[in-house]
Amino acid sequence: MQRIKDFIVNSRVWRSFFRHGWPDNPLDRSLVMTSNIFFHLHSVKVSRKSLRATYSFGLGIMSAIIFGVLSVTGILLMFYYTPTVERAYSYIITLQTLVPFGQLLRNLHRWGAHLMVIIVVFHMVRVFYTGAYKPPREFNWVVGVVLLLMTLGASFTGYLLPWDQLAYWAITVGTSVAAYEPTMGSLVKSTLLGGPEVGQEALTRFYALHIMVIPAAIALLTSLHMWRVRKDGGLAAQDAPDAEMVEE
Amino acid sequence: MNNESFSKDTSKTKTYSLVELVKAPTTMTDRGPDNSIFSFPVVAIMELLLTLIVVVLLLMMSLGVNAPLEEIANPNTTTDPAKAPWYFMGLQEMLEHGHPTLMAVLMPTLMVLFVVSIPYIDNTREGSGIWFTSKRGKRITLYTALYILLVMPLYVYLDTTFPAREMLRGKLPDFVLQAVFPAILMGIIVGLPLIFVWRYKPSPREMVITLFTVLFVSAVVFTLAGFLFRGPGFELFWPWDMPGNYSPWNNL
Repeated sequence: MQRIKDFIVNSRVWRSFFRHGWPDNPLDRSLVMTSNIFFHLHSVKVSRKSLRATYSFGLGIMSAIIFGVLSVTGILLMFYYTPTVERAYSYIITLQTLVPFGQLLRNLHRWGAHLMVIIVVFHMVRVFYTGAYKPPREFNWVVGVVLLLMTLGASFTGYLLPWDQLAYWAITVGTSVAAYEPTMGSLVKSTLLGGPEVGQEALTRFYALHIMVIPAAIALLTSLHMWRVRKDGGLAAQDAPDAEMVEE
Repeated sequence: MNNESFSKDTSKTKTYSLVELVKAPTTMTDRGPDNSIFSFPVVAIMELLLTLIVVVLLLMMSLGVNAPLEEIANPNTTTDPAKAPWYFMGLQEMLEHGHPTLMAVLMPTLMVLFVVSIPYIDNTREGSGIWFTSKRGKRITLYTALYILLVMPLYVYLDTTFPAREMLRGKLPDFVLQAVFPAILMGIIVGLPLIFVWRYKPSPREMVITLFTVLFVSAVVFTLAGFLFRGPGFELFWPWDMPGNYSPWNNL
């Protein structure tokens, strides 16, 4: 058994996949983090203070997790959906009634989207009240605000896609708010909708924004956001003096 | 003491030299012992656990409640009420209380600009990584939140039921009634806690905490008012006492 294991682990194929040994010692534990594309967003060592659940509540990570769930369910939904005024609604009906787990898939995507907005807002509130935007993290705060706006944009563009009364009038109301801006407002509105009111052009544009433009921007900015957290010295919790971490 | 470290002939044994003086906190001075652990496997396990919790919660919610779906979109029949998605209901609620350019454009723009510039207004390092920074910060947050929770719902209610702006229509120019009047009122509501805190010589952090709390709690109040308390005709109702079969939850 031991010899088989040694043979596999020392084979050239295995060594080409994993460039470190079993992570039970400091060197290999460091190498796990630095030689893996997903782990390398983390630092090799982390302050115990920043791991306290009541400090961060894991809200930032949770946003990323929900974004992952939304990506997977979103891609599955794309297999069944066509963004045309004539067929979009009937595709949703088909999905809910004929496709196995179709209703569950749609529920996951819908509730996940709402949850993501809530969690992202909570994350911003947490970062604000813990003063984690302070130098050297100013720019990352700005990136975070942009990510919040992107999250709202992702949710808003997705809201139109079922093409039911709820979607239609919510987008009509939502985009008419933009038109109140005196200089650029009507331009923004007609650019978003591709016409004077919500119709096929709006559905096409919202679909493109929802499945491509905004998720790509979120993925890119999230990478920047996480990388910046590490470059700015990890979570702000570790800047705090030990004594003051005790809550009254 | 014949210690090599303290040898007088430093030219040969000295292994350090002064390179440069930097005006910055040094890396390790005034810090306790290195209180860190290897990220692997602890962080990986925590993230896996968090993933499981989030996915299980979402699954349970999705098994229990179906996403709403109404009839096919019909541009000729308006729904009553016609509401934006819940996170924009704060904006739609604001529209009820003044000129659209003020309420739906100017105020949100100012809010976003303020939020973006927070780290540049308060650029001290004081209290970074500590919830509410200090006991005083905690008190400021609590009292500001309570004040807004009292004043903003009252404002929404009074402005809807006794619309002074409607009663004075025709007697004063529209611009004064719909833009100047609400702007001054909002200015007073937002300004009061700032003036109050100002008397206690606040740090930039405490000023920012006051303003952020005002804006955040107001946003929550307006969002809830618009989402939960507005029914048919966009009138105010109790969420559990809506006329017809309208339920605000159907708009999710």
